[in-house]
Amino acid sequence: MTKIFNNCLIVLCCAIGVGGQAQASEKSFLDEVNMSNEKFDNRSVPVDKLVIQESVLAKEENQDGPFRVLTRKKLIGRFKCSSCHTGKAVTANQGLELTHSDIALKHGQEGQALSCIDCHHVEERNFLEDKKGRKIDFDHSYQLCGQCHFRQKRDWLGGAHGKRVANWAGERVVFNCTTCHNPHSPRFEKRFPATYSVPLD
Amino acid sequence: MSSDKKDQNEKICSQLLASKSNRRDFIKTMSIAAAAGSAALTAGCIPSANAASSEEMKLRWQEFFKENYRMMTQEEKDETVARLERLAKLRNNLDLQMSSLPPIEGVLYGYAFNITRCEGFMECVSACVKENNLDRKTDTQYIRIFEMEPGKLDPSTGDGQYYHEVPVENKFYMGTQCFHCENAPCTKACPTKATWMEPDGIVVVDYDWCIGCRYCQAACPYYGRRFNWGQAEIPKEEITLKQHYLGNRLRPKGKMEKCTFCIQRTRKGRLPACVEACPTGARVFGNLLDPDSEIRFVLKNKKVFRMKEEIGTDPKFWYFID
Repeated sequence: MTKIFNNCLIVLCCAIGVGGQAQASEKSFLDEVNMSNEKFDNRSVPVDKLVIQESVLAKEENQDGPFRVLTRKKLIGRFKCSSCHTGKAVTANQGLELTHSDIALKHGQEGQALSCIDCHHVEERNFLEDKKGRKIDFDHSYQLCGQCHFRQKRDWLGGAHGKRVANWAGERVVFNCTTCHNPHSPRFEKRFPATYSVPLD
Repeated sequence: MSSDKKDQNEKICSQLLASKSNRRDFIKTMSIAAAAGSAALTAGCIPSANAASSEEMKLRWQEFFKENYRMMTQEEKDETVARLERLAKLRNNLDLQMSSLPPIEGVLYGYAFNITRCEGFMECVSACVKENNLDRKTDTQYIRIFEMEPGKLDPSTGDGQYYHEVPVENKFYMGTQCFHCENAPCTKACPTKATWMEPDGIVVVDYDWCIGCRYCQAACPYYGRRFNWGQAEIPKEEITLKQHYLGNRLRPKGKMEKCTFCIQRTRKGRLPACVEACPTGARVFGNLLDPDSEIRFVLKNKKVFRMKEEIGTDPKFWYFID
């Protein structure tokens, strides 16, 4: 009789124990994280490293408000385009060096590959043009890329695609689409890794 | 020379007699006096008298008798940092800038890794090695990148030692490092309380209180910790001079070390070295308590998972897919 009683007691204790544990594991620091809705002022953090790359204020905002993107125009070797594209004829010997024969266009799926004027403005060569005919600045190319890559753009605005420059705090400065991707051949090229790993211990 | 030493000894002894002190201070001062005066103490951690200047020896003795980092006041932290800077100058002629910067109020660090974007270039690994002054002789690395078969999500099934052109068709890449668990088993295993979680969520090691028993390494379910079998060997010109007491300062032989989310950078608003080096933007870092941060956007809008979530360690490191 006492044996049965003891067994019952053990079972009861176990049940309470398991119940207690289950309750404990339900509570997580994630609740605290999800509850934390108070705005954090990123600029209140004293930032050690300044962003040295040139940036412009983006024409769109994300959940945190306005932010900056790295510029592009100064990195294009032959900008402004209009200095050559004047509408005048060019002699053949100059033409060879001045045409963009170095650009291998690998953008778009097979059979639907893009051509120059899919992105570049036909008349105003200093600008890009989207399918709605909007003139787009080279520094704000995300406006153009986003018309096809809208999912990537949404992630880029929010912070799940692309990356910030140098700091997690301070003013938000992010890489532009063209900082990482070559617009003429956007996929990253295959290469050897920067290093290798040896087995642990 | 010897009269100089005698003078110094007398000075130290008179200081000792003049000041009221507790037992710990008494031992500390006694040992400084002993070290300065005697050439017989040469074994173990006791510096040899002829090899070191008396200033160096004094600093090393004071270092030997310091508190656990968590028990120090800010003043004591500043003192030990100043001593370590001076010692690096005396011993290796290095001009360090060491910090003991406390956590930032209202910040809890979190990390997300995009397994769709990572292409296995391993720029993160080499940036980490450089930033954190890791041993080049044994090729110690905090980060590991695994080449994975599609459908598998356990890195132990992947290839962690690949060296060929990447990315390979129909493979994906998954990085591991210390996950800075909110409920970290390593900190519970430590017998000397030399490892703990800071208020901003970073799990750190006090290298001077670690006794090198490696219990924490055994306790970590993610292989996140590394052990120094010898004194780290780094080419002098490659040493990162901006250091933090709990971060990338040069570790002595026989100590545990691990990823600290680059505490020397992140407490100054910078991104960890791996995030900054990543060429594909697969790494997201930020403040979990900021509802508008990038990391919170990932947690809210992407499909995320954590490794071995069921064991209840609550890592602050998420994987996500596009």
